[in-house]
Amino acid sequence: MRILFTTLSIIFAIVGIILSILPFGYIALIPIVAALVFTLIASKLLVKEGKNTGIIKILFAVIIISTGLSIYNALKPNEIEIDQDAIEKQKQSDEETLEELEDIEIED
Amino acid sequence: MIYLSLINKNFMNRLLLFFVLLTSVTLHGQNNTIAAGEKLTFTASYNMSGLMTDLVQVTMETKEVKTSKATLLRLRCKAQTYNKWDNFFKINDIYETYVNPKNLTPYLHKREINEGGYYKKMQYNFNRGLNSAKSVKTKKRKDGTFWDEKKDLTIGSKTNDIVTTIYYIRNLDIHKAPVGSSDNFTILFDNEETSMKITLLSKETISTKIGKKECYKLAISLNNDVLSGSTNDNLLWLTADDNKIPVYAKFKVPVGNGELKIQSATGLKH
Repeated sequence: MRILFTTLSIIFAIVGIILSILPFGYIALIPIVAALVFTLIASKLLVKEGKNTGIIKILFAVIIISTGLSIYNALKPNEIEIDQDAIEKQKQSDEETLEELEDIEIED
Repeated sequence: MIYLSLINKNFMNRLLLFFVLLTSVTLHGQNNTIAAGEKLTFTASYNMSGLMTDLVQVTMETKEVKTSKATLLRLRCKAQTYNKWDNFFKINDIYETYVNPKNLTPYLHKREINEGGYYKKMQYNFNRGLNSAKSVKTKKRKDGTFWDEKKDLTIGSKTNDIVTTIYYIRNLDIHKAPVGSSDNFTILFDNEETSMKITLLSKETISTKIGKKECYKLAISLNNDVLSGSTNDNLLWLTADDNKIPVYAKFKVPVGNGELKIQSATGLKH
């Protein structure tokens, strides 16, 4: 049981840190909460059996970092990057389009 | 990242195709709804594990364009990922059509897709008299060079590009259509004509960023794999006023579902 819960904690902590690095926002909290629950259970079992709890400390650190990152990503406002190259390219494209439209005669 | 790619692949296509809808009125009637200088801004979200994640900003803009012989109306739809997604999967798609401002007849359509390194450009030069369109497809090779594929297409007299169809629908007399009525549209997309059925489901009042609006609730179904699910999985709400602006949409695609919400609307005709 101890190995099972420790393994589940590691898996969910890894998924949590990956999702928190990606801009998924609060969605990353789902595996993080699962990792926290399994880590707490694994911690109790390790203490009960008198085993080394080093891995639990690492897992807690990962969970705290993931939580911080996911909250930061969730609170970060949605903004559109102003790409000057794209704007210039668009202007050039608009001018080319205007030339293409010169031959068009519209019918009412 | 494969999953992300699936979600975003041609995301704009799905959004735009979804947008298209309703009723029966003579094609290319008088334009009483769309004016130059209009700008609508939306946020497109994707449902991940029951939580909505904002992915893309969609804008729909109109502008008057003058040539030496004519005055045209440019209808431009843009989709751009929010900056927090740019490092993972950047989308920058532009769809635009130059139409007759009086009746929204399209003359030139351009679609440029930039999605996570994938590039494609489509152009249609319409000839209404001959019911044809000259198509130019431009794609990017792996070495960064481009290649063109030109085709002469024969199209139906009622076939339009996707952007014109979106705006055309807004110009329909939806108020005259009874609840439950439906109609079919044909869209030229990727050199193929795609049929779409639109049904007026009801009138509903919904809360949006631009206030509480009475809307026409429309169901959309396509005969291809862009949208999936049953009729009631793909819905669009258009304001039940003279502007008929799209304020909310729900859509189901093969890799999940999402929604489109209006953020702002400026330069409206009415």
